[in-house]
Amino acid sequence: MNYLIKNILRLLIFVIAQGMIFGQLNFGFGIHPMIYPLFILMLPFDTRPVVLMILAFIAGISIDFFMNTFGLHASAAVFIAYIRPAIFRQFAPRDGYDILKEPIARDWGYPWFIKVSALTILLHHLWFFGLEYFKWSAWKEILMSTFLSTLISLTIFILIQVLFFKKSQKV
Amino acid sequence: MLKFIAFFRRFRVFLVFLILQIAALSSFFSVMSYPRTQFFNSSTNVTGTLLTWERNVTKYLYLDEANEKLQAENVLLEHRIPDNYISIDTNTAKINDTLKRLSFERIPATVINSSHAHSNNYFTINAGTDKGIARKMGVVSSTGIVGIVYDVSENFAIVKSVLTKDINITAFIDKSNAHGLIKYDGVNPRKVSLTGFSNDIEVEIGSEVLARGSGGYFPQGEPIGVVEKLEPVEGQPRWDITVKLNQDMRKLRYVYIIKNIHQLELEEIEKNIPQLQ
Repeated sequence: MNYLIKNILRLLIFVIAQGMIFGQLNFGFGIHPMIYPLFILMLPFDTRPVVLMILAFIAGISIDFFMNTFGLHASAAVFIAYIRPAIFRQFAPRDGYDILKEPIARDWGYPWFIKVSALTILLHHLWFFGLEYFKWSAWKEILMSTFLSTLISLTIFILIQVLFFKKSQKV
Repeated sequence: MLKFIAFFRRFRVFLVFLILQIAALSSFFSVMSYPRTQFFNSSTNVTGTLLTWERNVTKYLYLDEANEKLQAENVLLEHRIPDNYISIDTNTAKINDTLKRLSFERIPATVINSSHAHSNNYFTINAGTDKGIARKMGVVSSTGIVGIVYDVSENFAIVKSVLTKDINITAFIDKSNAHGLIKYDGVNPRKVSLTGFSNDIEVEIGSEVLARGSGGYFPQGEPIGVVEKLEPVEGQPRWDITVKLNQDMRKLRYVYIIKNIHQLELEEIEKNIPQLQ
């Protein structure tokens, strides 16, 4: 129950932060920082894949409401929710995951977190910008937007981890 | 039947993935390909209200700039008031203005959410059906054309910005009278291209690009931008004209929605064109 309320709150915070702060930032060069993939990454390890995708769809659609993108964010969010288990398997520690812990940098170390989130963001952005331009002749714009936005989003992810998920005082 | 259920169970995850993708992508591509009223947009009340709050906080940052623009606009308008002129000779200069009737009304609104970095850009304004706004009305700022109303709710409306691939506003270049279509190629939000100009027409760099007023969205001669670059299209007898927009879409705050009083009449009579052909 505790987990449920925590994740619903997180969903609201991430959607509002994305829609009202990060979506309104303008860096130019086709850069769109996106923070809501972090919400999907941070859902508990034992979330069932179907639930994961439905939650991702809700997050994506809510962001589409803000950004006037009509389903593009929803599609990209569902895509990374679908491949999240595979990515986690790829980078699993030797003795597997402890499902009582959350998938955050504090519990699993920054090298693990950066690897997992870099791959997730890269795939998310590639899917997103690929669909947005949706023609082969725009491959330069797609790749540029993908790589530059991945760098910015990854930096924001790490900052969020450093600032809001500190080591707790009590053990 | 059991096999079917077993099949469904095995591929359940993938099936849900497919269904959600179809839901999201069909909405995305149907909006991109042809105009249709959708519910996925920020004219819905919850996000509209949130964005209005945000706008109420940030609007103070832009007051100076807005005031300067309003002053400049006021000066222009003052020039058009007959009271400011003295007649040179009362016998020869007699002006009877009743021959003209109002055809375009302007409704002021404020932009509460916008994008300019995507390849198709939309923005949300804080006026809807309660202020008499309907779909397909033209939207201008004090310096130039910015878009066409795409969808309305009671208090908000979404505008398809001039930075959209299929915006296709008809425009002509001042003095040459030849006309073409405005298109956005998704790269630089300051620039659009003007297509359909045959290369036997002389075009000067720096000449003004104005709206032709077809479809009744904009009054004829509403400014759009200036010709910035002129290049021949390889293998075709055409110019590739780059137009610099008058209005910097990244700084758009205050807009006017243009209501054409004779829109219905225009549509009614233009409906007959295909039959005549």
